Amino acid sequence: MRSYLHIKGKNLWRACACLILGIVLACCGEEITGVDQPATATVGATVPITVHINIPTAGNGGPDNLIFGFLVPKGWKAAQNTKVTYNSPALGGGTMTLLTDATLPKNGGGLTWPAYMKKTFGIGGNLIDDMEWVAYQSDKAYSHNGNTFSGDILINIKVGADNNNMLVKLGYVITDSGNGFTSDGNGTYYSKVITPCFEVTGGAGDIVDFCNPQLTIVDPPKSLDNDFVTLTFDGTVANTQLGKETEVYLCATAYTSDGKTITVCEQTDKTRMVQTSATSKRYQVTIWPKSFFNTTDAQTITKMEYFITDKAGTTKVGYGNTPAPFVYTFKCG
Amino acid sequence: MKKNYNIKRMLLLMLVVLMAAACKTEKVLPKQEALKDISGSWQVIKATRNGTDLSTLVDLSQFRINFDGVGYKLMNKLPFIVTQDGAFSLDDPLYPYKITFTAAGGTPISTAFTYPIVNGKRQLSLTFSPGCTNNSYIYVLQRVN
Repeated sequence: MRSYLHIKGKNLWRACACLILGIVLACCGEEITGVDQPATATVGATVPITVHINIPTAGNGGPDNLIFGFLVPKGWKAAQNTKVTYNSPALGGGTMTLLTDATLPKNGGGLTWPAYMKKTFGIGGNLIDDMEWVAYQSDKAYSHNGNTFSGDILINIKVGADNNNMLVKLGYVITDSGNGFTSDGNGTYYSKVITPCFEVTGGAGDIVDFCNPQLTIVDPPKSLDNDFVTLTFDGTVANTQLGKETEVYLCATAYTSDGKTITVCEQTDKTRMVQTSATSKRYQVTIWPKSFFNTTDAQTITKMEYFITDKAGTTKVGYGNTPAPFVYTFKCG
Repeated sequence: MKKNYNIKRMLLLMLVVLMAAACKTEKVLPKQEALKDISGSWQVIKATRNGTDLSTLVDLSQFRINFDGVGYKLMNKLPFIVTQDGAFSLDDPLYPYKITFTAAGGTPISTAFTYPIVNGKRQLSLTFSPGCTNNSYIYVLQRVN
């Protein structure tokens, strides 16, 4: 028994030694060591963000360019409103240029860099799929020769090009052009950081909350009255008065371009929201607003205010579980 | 020994002759590609929005588009390339890959279009954006029996 334990201990030591050796060996690859980002900004302000990076290298690969990906709401039009530079004691300073669709990552399976980033990292835990990865590449390259480079990526972004107030999780990823989002015996060649919710205030548009679950979700996030619009009421987000209902209904008012309002607040098949599964407490209806509100060809619906009601139409749930209506503005930008 | 050698030569000769004879030029009959006729009444059998299947979310069954000669008529409308009846044209009657709709009093709108045969039936697959340009829809239509 004693001898058995002794052997087990020896194995444990060996395992530990291997693990430590493994950690030492897996030293190398791009790493984000920190992100300095303000917590809030006003619409239209230029926000400085610093991403601290450290790149220990091994082997003798390269030279490769540094690739940087920035996860932002599509509405910010980041490709046009962002300037990215870098500064490294070893490499000197330089600019990060926007990658076009013409540059394909080596290990991306034919995807563009932004698509490769979205496929690998998704939308960084944001709840509305209206985010995009914007990819940049350093003007200088470095070799994987055992040296360690450290430095900063400096971002200046004008936030809120869509004039919307929002809460959003921004994301940062680095890698190099030779490896992409891969790992091997020399280490992991990428690093990702998603920062806590960043708040944009002072805009005239809707509040878009990418961070917190919403009582209602509209898909597609951006649409016009001639799109099919899917409205989902998520009864699991808050304890609403409709918690026990098996079916709920949409009660909506459209505001048209010619200054009219059209209300459809009936409890029929037209407005019935179907539960996605027997106990999901998520109810869904897909409407074609032009037909739902029966607008004329000359009328365009600019926005829609709505409530979710019970079958009797007496209990109404509105924005944030209050008596105020949910608001959806029909726009593309 | 010598005889054997002759047989080998004979075999080689036969092989060469056989191989040469095997190369026969085949005359390809020029086959006339059929004109693509899309006339008739079509219904939507499948629709997607940004890749999401809409078939279970909305009632697509009532929509009809009737192609007749150079005109088309819409019935029980859905979000579509055009909202009014009008004229249509194909870019090439033999190998069309684009269809152009011109609603009465409107400007022509062209869209990508494929015309496969699935399970022995012609299908029309149209890709378009009736609302925001970044919302892409694909309707697959089939002739109403």
